[in-house]
Amino acid sequence: MERIDGTGARSVQKTPEEEATALESIQFTDEIHRLISAPSDNASSFTALLEMPPTQAVELLHSPESANLISNDTFKPPHMEDFKGRLHFPTNIALVERAARFSVFAGEGSNNTNIEKNSVETALNDSSANLKKAVKSEPAETESSQPLVSDPTVETKSAKRKEREKKAKGSAKKSKTAANESSDDAEKLPYVHVRARRGQATDSHSLAERARREKINARMKLLQELVPGCSKISGTALVLDEIINHVQSLQRQVEFLSMRLAAVNPRIDFSFDSILTAEGASLMDSNFPSIVTPLMWPEAQVSGNRQPYQQQWHFDTLQQQVWGREEVCHNYITPENSLLSYDSSANSATLHPNQLKMEL
Amino acid sequence: MPPPSSLKQEFLKKWMMGLHICSSSKKNMSILERKKAIKLSADIALASARNGTTCWSQAIIVNASQDDQDKILVQHVLGRESERLMKKGSVLPLTSNKRIRSRKILRRSCGSIRRRARKTIATSPPKVVAISIAKKLIRKRTQLLKRLVPGGKFIMDEISLIEETLDYIISLQAQVDVMRSLANAS
Repeated sequence: MERIDGTGARSVQKTPEEEATALESIQFTDEIHRLISAPSDNASSFTALLEMPPTQAVELLHSPESANLISNDTFKPPHMEDFKGRLHFPTNIALVERAARFSVFAGEGSNNTNIEKNSVETALNDSSANLKKAVKSEPAETESSQPLVSDPTVETKSAKRKEREKKAKGSAKKSKTAANESSDDAEKLPYVHVRARRGQATDSHSLAERARREKINARMKLLQELVPGCSKISGTALVLDEIINHVQSLQRQVEFLSMRLAAVNPRIDFSFDSILTAEGASLMDSNFPSIVTPLMWPEAQVSGNRQPYQQQWHFDTLQQQVWGREEVCHNYITPENSLLSYDSSANSATLHPNQLKMEL
Repeated sequence: MPPPSSLKQEFLKKWMMGLHICSSSKKNMSILERKKAIKLSADIALASARNGTTCWSQAIIVNASQDDQDKILVQHVLGRESERLMKKGSVLPLTSNKRIRSRKILRRSCGSIRRRARKTIATSPPKVVAISIAKKLIRKRTQLLKRLVPGGKFIMDEISLIEETLDYIISLQAQVDVMRSLANAS
């Protein structure tokens, strides 16, 4: 506090410059608030910046691009969004530590980085209730560092800034005492890792909205696992593209296979024994290599249904399989193949007999 | 969701039943008729294998039972549960009416939002524009997906749309597997 007081006295001498930089910083923070979906990190880093001695703050603020770079690099919101699914608090802390090491504040010593770390932690912890309390309990200790202001609009803006500063400071203080507790809480509560904007997002609506988004993300992840070659893609639109393609290809395959079945079989009733053996084998191969599944249907179902089908089989075997007809059917299929592109296994399956015939 | 193998067996059983009914009702069919019958019975079998619990299976059943000739097939394939499912199917349009109304309201409100958004886009920074473009892309794809999944028009919220899509993809996969093994066997 003493240090800040001293610099405060110094800052009186160079008020115009200070004012200009303060204005700049205010506009900048506001812009960041609008731009970035998780602004609490930036805000806290900014307040950490504001807590530094004014000379250094001025130095840093004269190059806002660099500050922007830092804040954007270290606390990229999309990355945090990605982390949301599997909350690793340790990794977050590691991230923050790395950020502190690489940031410009590293030269400031452990004090500032500590504050920054703690404030980021609290921001991660979604503790706006703490913030409110902090605002109440906070003594007016930042008064001394405030520049002398004459313009009323600037006054209101700086008041806003003061408020933000207070909040951040309070949360930082709070988190110093209860850093361990908060990290424990984070592991217990399910929605802690879904961060809230400061001042927003604690009412039931946005909580519900966030829960909904979580649900959507989880199901999207399931879909991604289901659709082949989709798990590596990031970005909802691309994933949706893949899903649409997959559904379309499956529907086309159904069309094609029913056409093929219609072409191959002169009658709609297929022979049944060959199906069952092939079916059972393929089921065992493709889905449950380890689990033993019954090849046929359970006996209870079979006993009722089997008799008519057995009769059907004998009937079919008598009537079936004229070779010439099948050849005709295959010839019919080939243009179908060239026109529509299905997946390779279907193609190879249909082309194979044709190739054999060509060789013969 | 039952395991895929039991789903496949259920589907195969019902499909065979449907095919049997089809073939017994009509003796000499052209290839296109045969294909249509095979596909229809496969779809109905798929829907009834899922027991009509999902939106898409109900939609398939309802669509199939619009046609009189196919209605018999549906009834036969579904068996005992046909009355229940048909009733459920008749419930679907009723709810859809309500949903259409709510969709109108939604569209109206969306329109106002869009107008507002258009105003802000002109002056907003590039990141905001990018976000709005991404949202638009996702909306387009969601609508396309709704058109692909049967009965998807009636699904309003995204969570159930994704769930339906999941279920539908799994079932389609089972259907394709069964049909392919059948095609390879015969």
